[in-house]
Amino acid sequence: MKFYVCIKQVPDVDAPIQIKDGNLIQDTDRMVLNAYDASAVEEALVLTEEHGGEVEVVLVGPDKAKETIRKALAMGADKATHITTDDDVEYDSAVYANILATFFEDKEYDVISCGKQSQDTDAGLAGSMLAQHLDLPYATNAVGLSLEDDELVVKRQGDSGQEIIGLPQPCLVTCSNDMNEPRIPSLKGIMQSKRKPMESIALSDMNLDESVLSAKTKVTGYMEKPEREPGQKFEGEPEELAQKVANILDEEENVI
Amino acid sequence: MSTLLTHIAVSDGKIKRASLEVLSRMTQLAEANGHSSEAVIIDANASDHVEEVQKYGASKIYTIENPIFKNHQNTPLLKALSKAMDEADPFVFGFGSTESTKDILGALAASQDAAVLSDVSEFELTDDGIEATRPVMAAKILSDNKASGDNILVSVRSGSYDLNESPTDAEVVDIDFSFNEDELKATLREIIGASGDKIDLTEAETIVAAGRGAKDDEGQELIEELASVLNAALGASRALTEAGIMDPSLQIGQTGKVVSPQLYIAVGISGAIQHVAGMTNSKVIVAINKDPDAPIFDIADYGIVGDLYKVLPPFIEELKKIKS
Repeated sequence: MKFYVCIKQVPDVDAPIQIKDGNLIQDTDRMVLNAYDASAVEEALVLTEEHGGEVEVVLVGPDKAKETIRKALAMGADKATHITTDDDVEYDSAVYANILATFFEDKEYDVISCGKQSQDTDAGLAGSMLAQHLDLPYATNAVGLSLEDDELVVKRQGDSGQEIIGLPQPCLVTCSNDMNEPRIPSLKGIMQSKRKPMESIALSDMNLDESVLSAKTKVTGYMEKPEREPGQKFEGEPEELAQKVANILDEEENVI
Repeated sequence: MSTLLTHIAVSDGKIKRASLEVLSRMTQLAEANGHSSEAVIIDANASDHVEEVQKYGASKIYTIENPIFKNHQNTPLLKALSKAMDEADPFVFGFGSTESTKDILGALAASQDAAVLSDVSEFELTDDGIEATRPVMAAKILSDNKASGDNILVSVRSGSYDLNESPTDAEVVDIDFSFNEDELKATLREIIGASGDKIDLTEAETIVAAGRGAKDDEGQELIEELASVLNAALGASRALTEAGIMDPSLQIGQTGKVVSPQLYIAVGISGAIQHVAGMTNSKVIVAINKDPDAPIFDIADYGIVGDLYKVLPPFIEELKKIKS
């Protein structure tokens, strides 16, 4: 089976962040493979190891995103396509989906997968947008995948229960990070990744219409979130503390 | 005058509170800007819910009724939503940000060539669209966003707006809708672990959430007893859902549900940013943890440093006394 996994390079949300004049500044500038995409790569590797096939990763992003592609190849993906953009462009989910839809127009595949959202913006839109453009059956927020009689069986976390959905191929699925622990690349994997095929396509060579690349939404600035003040911290005899806090919740906060 | 349309989601025969929060906001914006607030109910028994939707100020209510909507499936829902947009021609179409909404919002925007902002915590109308605030970077930062166009989709995090009743006599329009099983691209084989009549986390007034510190049987029993005394919904950190100790639908955080109860009691939860991202809008946060340096204490209003096995039994006893 042929798996395409769409991946994205994103800032590390665990690194310290500052806001200067409405812009986000991360001193470390540490960029990583989106955690949800890493789970999509892992799951594609597990399924192709079991059933045979090939995993190709696709990334839309600037030159410095190459290290993120290397990471996916070091995990075990067979090959990669890098659609290169200028350094500081700001696309919204719709533009990414448009670019990927154009890329996939003449491709053959059984499954396209991606993370269910980017860990920096949490928008969660590009996956189902791409499915719509390509007219593919799809499922989002997968927490488990398996292959049964040519159907991709998706366990999807819905609002109340888990939906078990059979998708005929070709199809698209977006992955939660709850489905697996993405493998850490081995030294051998890292060495091999340097020899794996990586094709670069300049976005400007894809002959995309201007309207496809113009974003309908944009981020106009960033603000600090009003922080919660740390409250009172009690230490001591458990019985006393339990009584004290229970009574505060009842009498002062009125939330019991 | 333009139309502000709200999608009314129904699950297990009950309207999602998140939908009514969005409708309350839309009605307020419609009144302030001379627009019309309308709603569309999509459900197997859509007409049963008209009366309740009228309470929140919709002047026109569309119903799309079909047995196919008994369980969430993206193909029929997308078809119904597209139909609703054709009928109502909304300037802004609002959704409560449920898992069902997250499943279709991007696809609907792509099919309607609409601008879309997901999971916002606030939004305002502008002359050519909306401005909205979205939590980003694991909800540590807020971003200001603009969407422009004449059909804009927006989904709103639960708890962002209060319910506000302003009853109207709405015009009710049933939209003719047929759906053939052959149109289904995917098959819904089964649903497991559906919560049924349990309290929905995103709508709960009180939540007792358990983390790694409460993973054994005794810890689980104490958590359940505490939740039962407070008539609270149970929640969990990722550590417990991943280990299979608690149901995945109970996960609170960046990956799971976003909650905003009046009282949130975090038991044995250290407070990783991914968890905090889902509960930081709770009104009162109580944390019980034996590690005095656990980050959860930085955001808790009341922290109890102590072993949960020693703290919870007297805490439960005291709450029982208060309740009785």
